[in-house]
Formats: sequence, C-alpha cells, structure tokens
Amino acid sequence: MIRLTDLTRAAVAEAWAFAERLAGPPPGPPEPAPGPPVSVRRLRRVVLTDAVGRTLFGEYAAHRATDRGQEETGWVLLGRREEERAVVLATLPAGADRDAGEAHVRFNADAQALASRIVRQQDRRLTMLGVVHTHPGRLRHPSRGDYDGDRRWVPALRGGDGVFGIGTAAGEELPPAPNVQMWEGLRFDWYSLAAGDASYSPLLVELTLGPDLAADLRAAWPVIEAHAARLDRLARQLPTVRFAAADNGELAVTLPLAAAGQSVRVLAGLKTVRLYYEAAGEVFQPDLPAGVAPDQALYLLLAELAARG
Amino acid sequence: MDFRPLTEIERRNLATALRGNADGNRVLLLDRRDTSFAGTADDVPDDEVIHAIKSVPCHY
Repeated sequence: MIRLTDLTRAAVAEAWAFAERLAGPPPGPPEPAPGPPVSVRRLRRVVLTDAVGRTLFGEYAAHRATDRGQEETGWVLLGRREEERAVVLATLPAGADRDAGEAHVRFNADAQALASRIVRQQDRRLTMLGVVHTHPGRLRHPSRGDYDGDRRWVPALRGGDGVFGIGTAAGEELPPAPNVQMWEGLRFDWYSLAAGDASYSPLLVELTLGPDLAADLRAAWPVIEAHAARLDRLARQLPTVRFAAADNGELAVTLPLAAAGQSVRVLAGLKTVRLYYEAAGEVFQPDLPAGVAPDQALYLLLAELAARG
Repeated sequence: MDFRPLTEIERRNLATALRGNADGNRVLLLDRRDTSFAGTADDVPDDEVIHAIKSVPCHY
C-alpha cells in the first residue's frame, strides 16, 4: 500500500512546473515540406547538421582527455534516409557501460535503444543510418574485423546500406578529401557499405544547419544507462508513456491516464525516484518504498488507483 | 472514449500529416480499433530502429 500525501499548494505548483518543463517538447528541426514518397537508392552522400558535427568532434576530444581515452569509442547515427543521401539528425553515444579497449568497442545498445525511443518521440521518420567509431592509431579506414560485422548488419538498414565514420587523431595535415572532416587535431573519414559490397566506399560528407536531437539527453545519459532495460520494457508495455530529459540529469517518465486530466509522472535520478499523480487539477506526491525502481513506482501507483476503483 | 487533448508533439505531427495528405497525397494511417491517427507511411516502426541498434556489431 502506498499513501498519497497532499503537498502544499506552493510546493505542488513548483514540482509540477518543474515536471512540465521536463516533459515539454524540445525544439525540433523545421518540418520539411511534404512531397511525394521517395524511393531509396544507393547512398551518395552523408549530410551532418552543424550540431551533430560539434557533438562528434567535441565528445571525441573530451573522450581522449579521460582516463579511458586510449579506448575506442563511438556513436550511433539517427536521421532521415532520403533518396541518395543520409541526413544525420541525432547521435547516441557508446555510453559509460560500453565494452571497449584499445582495439574494440561494443556500444551499450540497451541505453541507445531507449534513447532512440525518446528522440523519435519528436519525429517517427528518424531511422538508423549507421555508426561512427574511433581508432587509437592512424588507421583511417574500417578494419577487416569491422567489415566482417558490418556486411552482415547493413541489410537491417533502410536501403540496405549504411554510413560508417572512423575517428582518428589528425596527425600530419593532409589535403582534405571529400569524405574527410578535420578539426582541432581530430578527423573523421566517412564511408558507405551496402550488402554484397567487397569493400567500403568513400562517402561525400556535407554540413548543413540543424540540431543534434539527442543533445538534450546527454545530462541524463547515466540515468538512461542505469534504467534502460526497465524503461524500454515499460515503453513496450505502455505505448503512451513519454520520456524527457532534464538539465539536472533526471529523466521524466509521464503516463497519461484514461480519465481526462489525470496523469502519472516519475522523475528518475541515479539514486532517487519521485512520483507525482495529477487528478482534477490537484497534484499528489505518493510515498514510495525505499529503493523502488522508476517503472516499479509507476506500476505501484496504477495498482493503488485500481484498488481504489 | 478518450477526449484527451493532443500534446504539442502529437498536434504538430497530425498537422504535418494532414498537410502532406492534402498537398502531396501522402497516406494517413488510422488505428483500426478506434480510427485514431496512427502516423504516416513515412514513419519508421520502433521495432525496425531498435533491432538495428541492438544488432550493431562490435567494431575494431
């Protein structure tokens, strides 16, 4: 049994306003003009928004400055797959719980899967475009081991081909090729690979103005990693649940209830879980057992409400 | 029947889809159970994206 405790009106207003800020829609990219459906052909170019470019170079530089800086790292790329190009609109990092060393990296896919659900709340046309990973040396091309995995993976992508970026330290200055970006001593080399290809092909890279739709998730990434499996399961079981990240590192989980004006909201931190219930214009903060998980808190309240009829 | 107001994102997605239907003859998808708006043909299913993410191979 959990107990519903009235908060003072001022505290309620403050807490609810905070939660509303968390759940409010983040700014998205401008809506493209509607047009006829396009057929997908072989990738000819990859287009990065300026914010995506800053994320990749900025987080790569930050990674190299950490005590895990000798390890490989990487990102999943989400965006729009157009007729002959991929437009990257979001980056999902490998995560602190990645399995990585100087010669390999396996991303924390559970966290990236949950993050993809959060990002795609804004635009369900976003799809998986490819991956970027780094090499500690000067190998500016995917390795043979990369090829063995990627050639079996690309049939899972729209169009049957994917975008692959390789990050390295720039070293000596070279004349930039059309598939190369360089900045502050770092570089990314871009390739495509389609099912059946004998090797990767250099992929023309371009920049455009636009957001990284996953940038707002960075502060809450430790919480996303901590609760990824539970919250992903919650999203599958309750498709109307919505997520939003806050600058303070908390993740808001909101479930509208069947009755008008009723909703449940969980604010999950790394070690804290707070629960709010709104009904008929009033907000309640139920007491929770110690150590309760975010999805467990939500289900406890649903069970309590069901018991009360 | 649920008369819940649309959220801002739902409203924006529906408006974009209706505009695409009117201007470009794009398909609107309806939920077969209650005829509610269920997206457009351009939407990518969650399962497709999550399968691709969870099957990313180890990189070397």
